[in-house]
Order: sequence, then structure tokens, then C-alpha cells
Amino acid sequence: MSASLERSNAKPATLDGGPSAAAGTQVMLWQIGVGIALLAGWEAVGHGSSGEWTSRPSLIAVQLLAWFEGPIYQHIATTAIEMIVGLMIGTACGTVAGLLLGRSKLLSVVLRPIIVAFYSVPLVALAPLFIMFFGLDMLPKIILVTIVVFFLLFFNTFAGAGEVDDDLISVVELMGSTPRENFQKVVAPACMVWIIGGVKIALPFALVGATTGEMLAARRGLGFLLSDAAAQFNMTGLYAALFILMLLGLAVSEASVRMERYCLRWRHAAE
Amino acid sequence: MPPSDVAMKAADPRAASRELEKIRLAGAGKRFMVRGGELEALRPADLDVRPREFVALVGPSGCGKSTILNMVAGLLQPSEGAVFYDGQPVTAINRAVGYMTQKDTLLPWRSAADNIRISLELKCRSVSRGDAEARVMQMIDLVGLKGFERHYPSELSGGMRKRVALARTLIYEPETLLMDEPFGALDAQLKLLLLDQLQELTTLRRMTVMFVTHDLGEAITLADRVVVFSARPGRIRKIRDIDLPRPRDVFKVRFTEAFAKLHEELWDELKDEVGKGTDV
Repeated sequence: MSASLERSNAKPATLDGGPSAAAGTQVMLWQIGVGIALLAGWEAVGHGSSGEWTSRPSLIAVQLLAWFEGPIYQHIATTAIEMIVGLMIGTACGTVAGLLLGRSKLLSVVLRPIIVAFYSVPLVALAPLFIMFFGLDMLPKIILVTIVVFFLLFFNTFAGAGEVDDDLISVVELMGSTPRENFQKVVAPACMVWIIGGVKIALPFALVGATTGEMLAARRGLGFLLSDAAAQFNMTGLYAALFILMLLGLAVSEASVRMERYCLRWRHAAE
Repeated sequence: MPPSDVAMKAADPRAASRELEKIRLAGAGKRFMVRGGELEALRPADLDVRPREFVALVGPSGCGKSTILNMVAGLLQPSEGAVFYDGQPVTAINRAVGYMTQKDTLLPWRSAADNIRISLELKCRSVSRGDAEARVMQMIDLVGLKGFERHYPSELSGGMRKRVALARTLIYEPETLLMDEPFGALDAQLKLLLLDQLQELTTLRRMTVMFVTHDLGEAITLADRVVVFSARPGRIRKIRDIDLPRPRDVFKVRFTEAFAKLHEELWDELKDEVGKGTDV
């Protein structure tokens, strides 16, 4: 009897999920509405003036459709490859350097000031140098991305390696671990939080690095598309290129959120 | 030091075989530098622990009990005197001991089962994967964590984490167990269950145990000898043999007359010190 009463009491509670889901839909409708209103306003301004500087969403859409017929993919691929290769090399080198210097007093005393000195150069200012050295193709951009990513990963991993709780290392040492096992079982996973944090920061910077390099001198890539359109006063092309960069940026930040959620699931587990 | 104690030691059949002490503190003392000043954590102390003996250390906070465990584990070096293990001075990490520290030292990125397994993954043990899995499951069963194998430490309660740490220490069957208030955070019922299991396991696996606790009842229930410490600077105030027959029923032994007598006697030693205890 009492059990059936409890069950009937439980029912409204499960229905409580309904209104909150409805609220979510409502928020989304509002967001779509605001988005449409902004685009409509832009369209109207474009029609009212000559549209020379503002272009119009309808023109941009037509431009985007034309690009997606074919020519855009090589640009997206170029920028994406520069980012991904640079991220991989930069993350690997930055992590290893951070771990080595973070766990070795001697190395850190000798090398860290040098690394800090190099980091003091605004990294984007290195782009012309790399272009002179390595030409107009992907290599100079990959190097730029690599260096940006390297520094971010290095400083994060270095901080993490210094923070590793020595008591955790003692625990496995008492069990008979070798120094190598200390590193594999404790130091490296303990730094994972910091490494993932570094990658998360580095992802948008990799996009910035790749497009900056392309804007300075390139034959392909979204940065090239952007600067090329600007050079020709093609405002529609400029906005269209920015739109694609925005999409790429959104994809990158979504990827970083997913990566963090997966790699650090033990942290989110309790939430 | 008390003569009655020496007599009892000689009467002990295990001592009669003249085995070497497992652990020996020979005038081992420890001073720390704290904010420019020197702090004496442990007055030079002498203590012998025989093989397979269960020794409980009780005393107020900050009396150097944990310092002793740290020195036996080789994590700290004594400022004076020496600590011997199997007759050898302990100068580096002592891999013959399993140490369950007071602090929570589970690896947060490993699930409960993976934390318990870690010692079996090390090269020095080379346990096969299937073998390790079976032993982990058995351990999880023993500490009552079935259904929580895949949970991360952040998802477990304080008591559950203690049990994971206990299982992690017991699974590789170290010949000596150092335990620093292992059951402090547990509720009374669970504590008794685990005391029971600990007693059974350490007897079965013939382990030597040094067990630090605040709880005098717990100490008398488990130990062959109880060592009472004075407040800081820590000093051994009394060593008392616990001659309650074994195996002991941890659920009932505390209601026996012999237990009550021991408790009263040791409490008389302890009560003067408790008020003086200070946490740093």
C-alpha cells in the first residue's frame, strides 16, 4: 500500500524533467530568433547603403555556396593540416621538454631561462623569418604553429611536473617500482591534467598561428583566402572567409571540450 | 624497560626461537626544522618488533608515531640513532614494507580496481594479467567494495577510499605492514568488520604489523603489544603485552573483563598525555 503511494508520488517528479526540456527548447528558439534578426538587420543595412563595405548575408551565402562547389576544400585542408601537424609536433616536444625540465633541477636551472627568453619574442613576429627561410608553402606555417604550441605546452607541463605529489611517488616506490615505472605510473598521468589544459589553450592559438602565417604569404589556406579577398576589396569574399574561420574555430573549441572530457573523465566522474 | 615486560618476552614461545627482530629502533630520534626553530618530534626511542608481531602505537597527536612509521619505511632518516630492518640499517626506501599512510594517496586517475592492482603491474612482481584480475576481485570482495570497482576515487566516500587503500596495501602481501590510523574515518560497524578481516589476513599471511591509532580499544583488540607514547616531544611511556588469547573475536573481546582491565591500565597512562597533545 505504502509502496504504491510512493510510486504515485514519484510520478510528478519524473514529469519535472518535461518543463526544463521545454525551457531548453525555448532558449534555443530565442537564440535562433536573435540570429535571424541580426542577419535581417545586416541585410537591410546592406540594401540601404551601397553595400560596398558591409556586403549582405545573401551575397555571402551565394559566395559560400559557390566556394563549396569545389575550391574551398583545399584551403580548409591546408589550414587544417598546418594546425594538426603543428599541434602534434609542438605538443610532443613541449610535453617532453616540460617533463624533463620539471623533473630535473639541473636541466631546469640551465635551460629554463633560455626558453623564457625565446618566449619573450612575440611569436607572430617570427612569421616573416620563417617565410624567408622556408618559402610560401605549408612548412613555415607548420613551424609557426609548432613553436606557439610548444611554448604553451612547455610552460603548462613544467608547472604540472613540479606539482606532482611526492607522496604518490613514495607509494609506488614502496611497492618496488623502478624510476621508469614511477614516471609511467605516477608522474606522466599526474601531469595529464596540465598537458590537456595546455592543449586546450593551444588549439585556438594553433588556428591563429596558421592563419597569420597564411595572411603574410601563402598560396593556399583560409588566411590566404582572407587576405586575398581584402587585397581585391572583395568584402563579400572577406566575410565569407571569416565565416568559415568562425566555423573552424567552433569546431576546434568543440573538439577541445570533447578531448578534455574524455581524457580527464576521472575528474568529471563525480559531477 | 619494565622488568615484567622483559620476563614476558622471554616466556613468549616465538621469542624463544631467538629469531632476529624484524624491526629495531636503536635510539632513533627525529628533529625537524620548523620556521627557523628546531622541533623535537621524537625523543630517541628503543623498540624491537619481532617477526609476525602486531604492535600498536597509541598516543596523542604529534607524538611521533607517524614519524616512526616513516623511518621504518625509509621515507625519513632519523636525526640520531638508527632504524634496522632484518638487522640492516634502513637508509633508503624500504621495499619490504607495505605502508598505508594517514593521508589519502590513491591515484585519482585510476578507478578503485586499477588503484588496487597497481603493485601487481610492476616489473618486480610480474603477475599475469588474468592472475592480477582474480586477485583484485578477491580483494574488492574482502573489503566490501563490490559494485564500486569502476568508480574513481572522487566518486567514493572517505571510508570507501580508506578501504581501497587498505586493499591496495594488502594485495601484494608485503611481509611487514605499516598502518597509520587506517580506520579513522570509518563508522563503528564497518571498522569492526575490517579489524576482523585485518586480524585474519595478517595471521594467515604471517605479517609483521606496526599499527598507529588514536583508539585504545582498537589497539588492545588487535595487538600483541601496545606502545603508549607521551605528548611531544614523543617518548615511549609504556610498552604493555596484550595477553588476550587468540584468535580474538573483535566484536566481543571488548566486553571481557581482561579487556576492561587492560583498557583501564593503559588509559591511566594515556589520559595524562592526551591533554598535552598538540597538532602542528
